[in-house]
Amino acid sequence: MDATPKQKWSLAAVSIPVMLWTLIPLFWIFSLAVKPQSIQADNKYFPREFSWENFQLITTGTASNLFNPALVNSIVVCLIATVISVVLATFCAYAIARLNFPGKKLILLVSLAVSFFPVISLVTPLFDLWRNIGLFDTIPGLVIPYLSLTLPLSIWVLSAFFQQIPWEMEQAAQVDGATSWQAFRRVIVPLAAPGVFTTALITFFTAWNDFVFAISLTSENARTVPAALAFFTGASQFEQPTGAISAAAVIVTIPVVILVLIFQKRIVAGLTSGAVKG
Amino acid sequence: MSRHRSPSRVAVALCAATVLVGLTACGGGEDSTHLTWYINPDGGGSNPEGGGQAQIAAQCTEQAGGAYSIEVQLLPNSASDQRQQLLRRLAGSDASVDLMSLDPPFIPEFAQAGFLAPVPEDMVETFTEDRVESSVTASTWNEELVAVPFWANTQLLWYRKSVAEAAGLDVEGGNVTWQQLVEAAEAQDVTIGVQANRYEGYTVWINALIAGAGGEILVNPGPDLDDIELGLDSEAGRAAADIVRSVADAGVGGPSMGTADETVALNLFQDPDTSGFLVNWPYVWAAFPANGVEFIDDIGWAMYPATSDEGDPAPPYGGISIGVGAFTEDPDLAYQAAECITNHEHQVLYMTGTGNPASRAAVFDEAEVVEQFPMADVIRDSLEQAVPRPQTQFYGDLSTAIQRVWSPPDGVTEDTPAESATLIMQVLRGEALL
Amino acid sequence: MSTVTDTPQTRRRDQHRPKLSDRARAERKLGWKLAGPAFVIMLAVTAYPILQAVWLSFFRYRLTDPDAREFIFLSNYSVIFTDSLFYQALWNTVFITVVTVAVELVLGFAIAMLMHRIVLPRRTLRTIVLIPYSIITVVSAFAWLYSFRTDTGYVNGWLNTLTFGAWDATFDWFGSWLPAMGVIMISEIWKTTPFMSLLLLAGLAQIDSAMEEAAKVDGATFWQRLFRVILPNMKAAIMVAVLFRTLDAFRIFDNVFVMTRGANNTETLSTLAYKQTIDRVEIGMGSALSVVLFLLVFAIALIFIRGFKVDLAGSK
Repeated sequence: MDATPKQKWSLAAVSIPVMLWTLIPLFWIFSLAVKPQSIQADNKYFPREFSWENFQLITTGTASNLFNPALVNSIVVCLIATVISVVLATFCAYAIARLNFPGKKLILLVSLAVSFFPVISLVTPLFDLWRNIGLFDTIPGLVIPYLSLTLPLSIWVLSAFFQQIPWEMEQAAQVDGATSWQAFRRVIVPLAAPGVFTTALITFFTAWNDFVFAISLTSENARTVPAALAFFTGASQFEQPTGAISAAAVIVTIPVVILVLIFQKRIVAGLTSGAVKG
Repeated sequence: MSRHRSPSRVAVALCAATVLVGLTACGGGEDSTHLTWYINPDGGGSNPEGGGQAQIAAQCTEQAGGAYSIEVQLLPNSASDQRQQLLRRLAGSDASVDLMSLDPPFIPEFAQAGFLAPVPEDMVETFTEDRVESSVTASTWNEELVAVPFWANTQLLWYRKSVAEAAGLDVEGGNVTWQQLVEAAEAQDVTIGVQANRYEGYTVWINALIAGAGGEILVNPGPDLDDIELGLDSEAGRAAADIVRSVADAGVGGPSMGTADETVALNLFQDPDTSGFLVNWPYVWAAFPANGVEFIDDIGWAMYPATSDEGDPAPPYGGISIGVGAFTEDPDLAYQAAECITNHEHQVLYMTGTGNPASRAAVFDEAEVVEQFPMADVIRDSLEQAVPRPQTQFYGDLSTAIQRVWSPPDGVTEDTPAESATLIMQVLRGEALL
Repeated sequence: MSTVTDTPQTRRRDQHRPKLSDRARAERKLGWKLAGPAFVIMLAVTAYPILQAVWLSFFRYRLTDPDAREFIFLSNYSVIFTDSLFYQALWNTVFITVVTVAVELVLGFAIAMLMHRIVLPRRTLRTIVLIPYSIITVVSAFAWLYSFRTDTGYVNGWLNTLTFGAWDATFDWFGSWLPAMGVIMISEIWKTTPFMSLLLLAGLAQIDSAMEEAAKVDGATFWQRLFRVILPNMKAAIMVAVLFRTLDAFRIFDNVFVMTRGANNTETLSTLAYKQTIDRVEIGMGSALSVVLFLLVFAIALIFIRGFKVDLAGSK
C-alpha cells in the first residue's frame, strides 16, 4: 500500500505524541540527575542550573562505595547468567530445531511455563536455603536463580531463530567436500551467530532488569544496581537521595539505550519471533 | 556426533567452574583483628574525614595501634531496612557482623534471638557512666545491658518566632499542647511538619502522643507472647488518635501529610510562606543553612509539645547503640572497639560533625558543642524526659501493624487505637498477615 | 551434522522396537543429550524451590525464633484465605492486571498500526518506542514516582497550568488508593507497552495486505476493515500478547515496592509475600503465599490455553 503524501504527513504528526510519551520520563530522570541539590525540589521539568555534583557523588563521592560495586556486580552476574544460559540454550535449541526426539514440545512448554513463574515464589525457599548453605549475598547465589529467568527465555527465542535457518546449506557444504569442522565454522556459525547474539542481548536485558531476587537474596556484597537504587542513602538517614538515584539511573540507562539504538532491528526480530511465530 | 557431545560437556564444566570460582572468591577467610562495623547513614557516609562514624572508625583503628582495624559498611536509609539487612545476616550466623549501629527499638528482638554477644561484666560500668537515662534504658533487655549507648536522639519543636508571636503563643516559656499548635497554625494559615507516612517515623509520633497522655502502647515489656498486654485501647490511645485526626482535618499537616517523612516535613518547614511549626530531630539545625534557608534568625526551638494540659510532654527517643554480633570471632576485641567508638572524645566529634546528639551528658557542656548548638541544653533536658518506643522482641510486627491501621492519618477515628490493638494480637498469634 | 557416519551397526540386535530405525534412535539420544542439560537445570532452579516452598508452608517458622518451628499443616493457608489483606492484595493485583493489559492492548495496537504504516520517521519511531522495554523497571518506577511527588514532581504543575489553576498544585498522588494505583499503572504501562506493540506488529505483518486492499476497493470504511479484516486475522497474535502480558502483570512488584511499599492499600500479592518472608522473616507464611501465587498464575495460564485455545507451540 503506497501512502499518499497527506497520509504520510498525518502519520508523522501522530508519531510525535507517541515519541513524546516515551521520552518525557527519560529526559525527566536526566533533568533530576543534573539538578544541583539546592533546586532538587523546585518542581520544574527542565533544569534551570546544570551540575555534575550528583554524578560525582555516586562515582567518586560518598555514595561511590554503594554504586560502583553494584555496577560491577550487575555486569558480572548478568554476564555469567547470560553466557551460561545462552550456551546451554544453543545446544537445546539446536536439538529442537534439527533433531527428531520425543519431548521436544514438552521442553518448549516447560520453558514457557517457567518464564511465567512468579519470581517471588522462588524467593522464599531460596532465601531460607541460601542462608543455610552460605550462598546468601554471593555472586553464585544470584546467578543460579537468574537462570530461572534467562534459561527459558533463551531456549524459547533461540528455538524460534534456529527453526528459520536454512540448515540445508550445511549439507550442501559437506557434499562440496568440506570437513565437518569446516562446515561448522563456515556455515553453521555464520548462520546461527545473529540469532545467538540477539538472544544473548535479550537475555542480558532480562537479567539486568531483575529486582526481586536482587533485593531478597543479597545485602552488601553481591547487590546489583536495581537493588542498590532502592537502598540508596541520602546525606543522612532522614534525607531523600533523589539526585543520586537519578544520576545512577542515567548511568545504567545510557548503555542499554545505546544497545537498543544499534540493534533495534535484531531485538524486534528476537522478541517477536520468539513469541508469535513460535 | 562426538562433536556435539564435547562442546556440551565443556559448557557444563565451564558453568560448574564459574560457580565454584565465584563461591571460593566470596567465601574467603578473614583476619580476626579486622572488624566490620555496619553503620547507618549519617552524613559522613563512608568518608574517613566526613565527621561521621567512618571517621570514628578510622581514628579508633589508628589509636588501637594494630590491635584491631575497623572497616565500615553502609546500611540502607530507613530504620526498617537497616533492621532487615542485619537480621538476614545474623539469621545466617554471619561472622562478618562484628559491630553494628542499632536503632533502639530493634535491640530487644536481636537480643532475644541471641544475635548479640553478651556485654563483658567488667565493661558494663564503662558503657553506662555519664549516659542519659533513656539511652541506657533503650540498650537494656531483660534487665541486662545488651548494647552500648552511642548517640541519643530526641525530637524538638521547631517554630517560627514571628508566627508564634502573631498567634500569641508562648512556645518558649511553657509547655505548648498539640491542640494549641493546631489552632495557632490554622489561624495563621501555616503548617505543622509531622511524620505520618506509613513508616517507622509514624510510630515514633504515635508513641510520643500516647506516652504524653500518660499511656503506654505496651503495658508489660516482656519476652513471652502470652504476657503481652497492650495499652492502645485506652483514654491515652484515643487522645493520640484525636490529635492525629485534628492535624489532618485542619489541613495543617501540609498537602502530603499522609506520605510525610522527616525530609518532607523539613521541606514543608523551609517554605518561607507557610512555615509555622515542625517536630523533628536536631539534625535539621545543620540542614537549615545547608539548604539555604533565609529565615534562620526567626527559627526557635522548644520542648516537644504536650498531648494534653495535664501530662508532661514525652519527647520521642531515638539514636543508635552499638551492638556486637553474636557470631563474631573475638567479642572482647569488638567491645574494646565499641568502647573507643563511644568515648567522650568521639561523641563530641560525632555531635559536632553530624548534628546527632551524644548519649554522654558531659558532652553537652563542651564549649564547641554549645557554640554550634545553641539548643544543647534543651536537647539534654528533652533526652532526660524522652520515652523510648515499646521494648519487645515483637517490635517489628507491632510497629508495622500500628502504621497500617493508623494510615492514612485522615482516616483515623476514635476506634483506630482499639483496631490496631486487635490487629497486633492477631499478627503475633500468627492469625493474620501483615 | 550428518548422522550417517555414526550409525552403530552392532546395536541392531538390541533393538526392541523395530519401527524405530537406528538412525532415529541415535537422533533421539542425541536430541536429549543436547537438550537435556538445559532442561534439567531449568527444572532444578524452579521445581526444587517450589517444592521446598510447599514443604515450608506447612510450618510456623520464624527466623528470629527457629527453635519454635512447628508443624501446623494447612493453618497458614487458612489464615491467608480468611484475611482481608489477602483479598485486598488479590483485588489490587487483578485490578492492575486488567486495567494495564486492556490499556496496553488498545495503546499497543494503535502504536503497532502506526509503526506498520508510517513512512517518514520509521526507524526513529521504532527505535524510540523500543526504549522503555530496555529500561530497568525500577528506573521507570523512580522516574514516575519523582514526576508525581509533591516535593519534586512537575506533573501537578503541568496539570495546574493546563486547567488554568483548577487543579490543586499540591495534590498528593500517593496519599490515597486510586491516584497511587493510577501512578503505579502508568509506570507499568509505559514500561511494557513497547513489548505489547511489537508482538502485535508481528501479527499485523502477517496479514495478507491484498485482503485489506480488496476490502478497501469494496468501499469498506477504516473501522469496518479494522473489525472485519485486520482484527480477526491477527487473533492468534493478540491472544498470545494478552497471555504474555497478563501473566507478567500478575506478578507486579517493582513499581509498587518503589512507589508506595504497599501503603494506602496498594499491596499486591507479590509485595505481600515479600513482606512476610523478608520483612517479617515468617518463612512459613511467606512460603504459603508463594504457593498460592504460583497456583493462581498456573490457573490463569490454563484458562487461557484451554479456554481461549491459545496455540503456543502451534507451528512447531
